[in-house]
Amino acid sequence: MKRKQSWRLMFAASSLLLLVCAGQVASKQTPKKEARLNSEEQKVINYLVADWGEDYSVTSVDIAMAALKTKPSDETRFRIGSHIKAHPELHEIIRRWGWVTIVLTPDEKLIARTLINAEREGKPQPTVVEIAKAVGVTEAQVDNGLTMLERYEILQRATTKGAGYKVVPRYIKWEPRLDFIFHKVSLDSGRQFNTN
Amino acid sequence: MLLVSSKLANEKVAIDTSSPEGTARIRVVFDKGKPVTIEPASTILFMGGG
Repeated sequence: MKRKQSWRLMFAASSLLLLVCAGQVASKQTPKKEARLNSEEQKVINYLVADWGEDYSVTSVDIAMAALKTKPSDETRFRIGSHIKAHPELHEIIRRWGWVTIVLTPDEKLIARTLINAEREGKPQPTVVEIAKAVGVTEAQVDNGLTMLERYEILQRATTKGAGYKVVPRYIKWEPRLDFIFHKVSLDSGRQFNTN
Repeated sequence: MLLVSSKLANEKVAIDTSSPEGTARIRVVFDKGKPVTIEPASTILFMGGG
């Protein structure tokens, strides 16, 4: 009788272990739950989808937010950008030029390029001060840019002597001299858009 | 360039871009299809299309 009980206990324990393992695998495979956009954020998406392709437009999120007079916010921009990253089916422009081209600001692209070029050329990682000087922004702006690039998984934190980040390998092997580009067009009428 | 010389040929157009090899910023302003401001001065501007 005792033997039967111990077998049952072992079976229950092994079933539990299997369930725990299955749960861990499932949680790793399931993408992070995407937060729904609020109405203001959805307006930015609608603006972009209508604008993309007009006059060769590859307009970025920051320009769309400014056009709609959306309160400037890195958090809002990140939420909209993450939605675009997760939904390439929204427009051919995302699939053709890549979400990175659309969701980053010119400053963020230049900050990324500073780190990428250093890694490609086998140079030491630049410090925040050096990046700020190269890009022509303040150190606080560099910090904000690095944080945004990390959130988009373009950079990873690293224990290097420079700014404390390293570039995710796929962006090192990306298209040299065609990556992280921007061409912002401003008209007298006030209209702004990007082309590539 | 195609836009500047066609659809936007009668407008003032500013283009902010950067050197693809580095991080230097470039600004070019066209008025009625002709460049009026090019910064920095070392910028080389190719205008194709005859």
